[in-house]
Amino acid sequence: MPNVLVFAEARGGELRKVALEAVTAARRVADQVGGDVHVVLVGAPGIAGRASALAEYGADLVVVSEHPGFANYAPEATTAFVAERVKGGDYRAVIFSASQQGKDLAPRTAARLQQAIATDVTSFEVGADAVTVTHPGYTGKVVQTLRLVGTPAIVSLRPGAVSPVAKAGAGRTESVSPSMDPAAGRVVVTETILGDTKTLDLGEAPVIISGGRGLKAAEHFKLVEDLAAAFGNAAVGATRAVTDEGWRPHSDQIGQTGRLVSPDLYVALGISGAIQHLAGMRTSKCIVAINKDKEAPIFKVADYGIVGDVFDVVPALTAAVQQARQSSN
Amino acid sequence: MSHVAFAFVLTLALAFFSYNAQRLVRYLRIGNGDVRLNDVPRRVWNLLVIGIAQTKILRDPVAGPLHAMVFWGFLVLQVGALEILVGGVIPGFSYAAILPAPLHWLFLISQELTAAAVLAAVAFLLHRRIVVRPKRLQGDGVHSGDAIFILGLIAGLMVTLLVTAAAERILGSGYPLVAQPVSAPLAAALGWLSPGAAHVVREVSWWLHALLILTFLNYLPYSKHLHVIVSLPNTFLSSTSGPGTVGAMKPMDLETEAEVFGAADVTHLSWKNLLDGYTCTECGRCTSVCPANLTGKLLSPRKIVVNTRQRLMEVAPALVGGDDVFGMPFIGASTGTAESTAAILEHRLLDNFITEEELWACTSCRACVYECPVSIDQLEIINELRRNLVLTESRFPEEILPAFEAMERNGSPWAFQPAERAKWAEGMDIPTMAEMQGRGERPDILFWVGCMGSFDDRAKKTTVAFSRILKAAGVRFAILGQEESCNGDPARRMGNEYLYQTLATQAIETLDRYEVATIVTSCPHCFHQIGNEFPQLGGNYEVIHHSTYIERLLADARVPLRTDEGEKLVMAYHDSCYLGRYNEVYDAPRQALKRALPVMTLVEAPRSRDKGLCCGAGGGRMWMEERVGERINVERKKEMLATGADVVAVACPFCMTMLADAGAKLGSTVPVYDIAEVVADRLADGH
Amino acid sequence: MKIAVCIKRVPEMDVTFKIAPTGKAVDETGLKWDMSDFDGYAVEAALQLTEKAGTGEVHVISLGPDVVQETLRKALSMGVAKAVQLKCDTVPFDAYAIGTALAAELKDGGYDLIMFGKMSIDGANGVTQFVVAELLGLPLVHACSKLEIADGKGSARREIEGGGELVSFALPAIVSIDEGIARPRYPSLKGIMAAKRKPLEVRPAQLGEVRLTVETMELPPPRAAGRIIGEGAAAVPELVALLQNEAKVL
Repeated sequence: MPNVLVFAEARGGELRKVALEAVTAARRVADQVGGDVHVVLVGAPGIAGRASALAEYGADLVVVSEHPGFANYAPEATTAFVAERVKGGDYRAVIFSASQQGKDLAPRTAARLQQAIATDVTSFEVGADAVTVTHPGYTGKVVQTLRLVGTPAIVSLRPGAVSPVAKAGAGRTESVSPSMDPAAGRVVVTETILGDTKTLDLGEAPVIISGGRGLKAAEHFKLVEDLAAAFGNAAVGATRAVTDEGWRPHSDQIGQTGRLVSPDLYVALGISGAIQHLAGMRTSKCIVAINKDKEAPIFKVADYGIVGDVFDVVPALTAAVQQARQSSN
Repeated sequence: MSHVAFAFVLTLALAFFSYNAQRLVRYLRIGNGDVRLNDVPRRVWNLLVIGIAQTKILRDPVAGPLHAMVFWGFLVLQVGALEILVGGVIPGFSYAAILPAPLHWLFLISQELTAAAVLAAVAFLLHRRIVVRPKRLQGDGVHSGDAIFILGLIAGLMVTLLVTAAAERILGSGYPLVAQPVSAPLAAALGWLSPGAAHVVREVSWWLHALLILTFLNYLPYSKHLHVIVSLPNTFLSSTSGPGTVGAMKPMDLETEAEVFGAADVTHLSWKNLLDGYTCTECGRCTSVCPANLTGKLLSPRKIVVNTRQRLMEVAPALVGGDDVFGMPFIGASTGTAESTAAILEHRLLDNFITEEELWACTSCRACVYECPVSIDQLEIINELRRNLVLTESRFPEEILPAFEAMERNGSPWAFQPAERAKWAEGMDIPTMAEMQGRGERPDILFWVGCMGSFDDRAKKTTVAFSRILKAAGVRFAILGQEESCNGDPARRMGNEYLYQTLATQAIETLDRYEVATIVTSCPHCFHQIGNEFPQLGGNYEVIHHSTYIERLLADARVPLRTDEGEKLVMAYHDSCYLGRYNEVYDAPRQALKRALPVMTLVEAPRSRDKGLCCGAGGGRMWMEERVGERINVERKKEMLATGADVVAVACPFCMTMLADAGAKLGSTVPVYDIAEVVADRLADGH
Repeated sequence: MKIAVCIKRVPEMDVTFKIAPTGKAVDETGLKWDMSDFDGYAVEAALQLTEKAGTGEVHVISLGPDVVQETLRKALSMGVAKAVQLKCDTVPFDAYAIGTALAAELKDGGYDLIMFGKMSIDGANGVTQFVVAELLGLPLVHACSKLEIADGKGSARREIEGGGELVSFALPAIVSIDEGIARPRYPSLKGIMAAKRKPLEVRPAQLGEVRLTVETMELPPPRAAGRIIGEGAAAVPELVALLQNEAKVL
């Protein structure tokens, strides 16, 4: 019976959410093909303690390699470790997350195994002789359905495509030393810098709350910041009118001459929607606009709009968002 | 009096002058070629109207008449100066011997009255320079010393002329009182002089006068007063005024193997640009009307021209040839050592004299060119330097890169998809050229919508309004729809001639394919580009601006208007630079408003028509950040609002955006409408 | 310093795509084409590296039919010294197939650095460089947002969620480039003219095995027309509900 191998990403001694997503996906496939879920986990000494969490989500076997050299991501050593595991076993599929690390590790491993790989998939089905995946392309404007042959089928999962589902697995662990000294790689991560988690970069933030001239003065931008804080994963943006006034720094400007962003959610507060601004955020997945002028061009691109005074609506929205997040946590 | 001595002095003076004249001409020849003898009737017209009749000078109500007096006086006095110089060499030469008495008396009167008037004018002008010190006569490194010296010389010339005549009168020149209205009283006042003394006075005064003439002549090449000699030729050679097309950017051949496209130094400019440098009188009128300068930017059109001359003077001696006698360093300038010559050759006009910041601040509003009394084309120099920055050095404000890329890819300066171009026309039953051609029909006119009118939400309202007017008037028109693509004007204004020619050529191909003859457009930039500059690339069409077209329709009563009186609105119309100064269309928009809404009152901003202040969007500045000083559009909006108007009317989508934005910034509720919207609002029901 | 950059010709992304009748590709009618965005950053980064070093040159390689020559010429007009087209009728989707062809071309090139964009903006796979690295036995640093090369050694920064990793490596190496290093220079007219005279070599592509293929391409469900859901603060509860349940962004 073929098994499913999955790589569980950890950072700073803790599992990342994407690891659980990957294990959940692996569990589903393993159940379908009637095999076991084997999880590869590497990290600094102590990481083995996380194996039980992996078991909760479906790991039958956790293969752990503990080594100080794995404190930072070690591309070549990790690749070697996973590849060897794959070669030494009978796996129908190998699953990675397409996180930042996974976008490096997964293709690296596939190339080492001289296999093709389907990266950043939003869904996949394992068939008898091929795996079918969906993968967005063309800046998200086209959904590509791809067919992958070869065994094992190697895929990397788009973060958030699968929600972790608790389903207990056998949870055995195996401790293995790395075949390659992590410090001996030709590509060495010398430092992992974790930035100020409070201020997300506009290019990365899944949610952007953006303010325009409708906020009337610099101090009213607190409304924007409060709403962003309520979302928890939001960055603050601004229109050119605002940055020209000096209410926000130029690096916050979203628009044709500023940043081009494509978040999952873009909330435009007191923004009229001039062409130059729209050019910067039109490709956002979901656009919400709040403006007191119902003719404002922003409403033509917004998915949801509220016609109203930002000073009334935004505090109410902030409170509502806070409540919604609390109740879902 | 020693005629021999004078002949000697005269010969020396003329020789020295001739040397300098030739040197200055040699320097001009380091510039590129330029064809300047086309369109002679217009050139003669300019010479007479702008040169002799001083029309541009007279735009300043104080300095204008004063200078005109000195200039006309100068022309009249040349007749007398000739008599003096010839008479100084040839004993006994005098007009008295050649002209019949009454004519000679007229000549004398002309000289004396003129001299007195000039003297009075000089007094006022000295007062202006020394006491009043107007703002535009300062800055850009110019100082009044040169002017004061020349005014002193002129005063000296007038005084010596009159004193000579007075002394001769004392010595018995015998002309009637009426023929010497100024020197006669002067002679009377000096009557106590003995004949011997009077003779001395006469000799000294005469020689002084002659020497002052020769000094004046030889001082000119070292002074901004070189314009005395070159301004009339420059006015003749300039293409900046007069009936016919003005304001077209210089054509450019991109197929050459040149190292430099555009200009980085004076050797890349044309001899005419360099002549402009000689001609500059440093009067500062150009800078005083520059919207960028007025709002605190570094740009000063005067500085552009003064720098051009300075750079020419700096480098030309080194370039005209080592063993060339004209390569002698400019007297007064440093005699170059080998190192300093190398340093001079390393220098260039761009960066060492004129900075990028100045060049990009220009809105190409043409106020400087329009105002210049000696027909200098400051804008041409700015545009040639911009072309070099973009085409040769790829140096330009990073915020215009998206505009270049969008024009290249999407055929419009914004990131809009070509497919969205004719969306404004949905449901309006407006045929495209393709559809009409398919039916075997031809429209009377092609409505060229332009990129603003196609994509900008506010401008689309103008497009729709104009379409309604055309339909109501029963005009058979078509649009290009998705086949319309940017005519490249923004690229050209920003210096990207390559991109411009690519786009313009495509547009011409499309227009020619449909055999388009007459085009109406609601955008002055498209109007100017297609009408005045497309011919350079072989596109020849009759192009009419929508304000002119609407006015004609209204004048011909072809537009069904509402019969009610309408609102008694007070309207202030803002002149678009590309409609106004570039194409002298001032009245049509105003007339159109009046005809559509007769009860309206038109008020004018202090700076309107050819003195209109730019909205700030031209010259590609619509796509650039304004980081220095006050906003040009805010400055202009304040002026429009101060008229107390209920409505600000425009005839350009860029002016619309700029003034509306400024209004929002100022918290004003005064709306900005395109004249098409005002007229459409007055259409009879059902249209 | 000798650098090779692998580039891909992709459609302009700022359009509404349609699917071709085959259902396996986008409809190319009316599409404008250009170098993939990240490839452009890589070419610019390469040019800046050779300019900073004062010596060396940049070559570009692209795989595909003759139309890719247009994109290669654009790179030449930016200042690249030589371009190579690995000719094939269609570009396979499988990075392994492409990487094999590229590796064969690059093997004997003697390049100090081989650069890629981190992924092509159409397929969005980000795999080809890994195949080439494996086949050529070269170290690879993926998705560099900062890059410095000195004395045969390289240091780079990669962006990770909430921060970055600093990486060091030695040349020869392969790097793939992320946003933030450089914006591609605008070709000067001189560059455009010079590009016409620079060498552009054409060779057949030696493609590898194809194991990943396109079954279908589809447009995502159309963006439902937006709507104004209400006025004032009263509309907030419905907005939150929609964000949670419909848009699923909360």
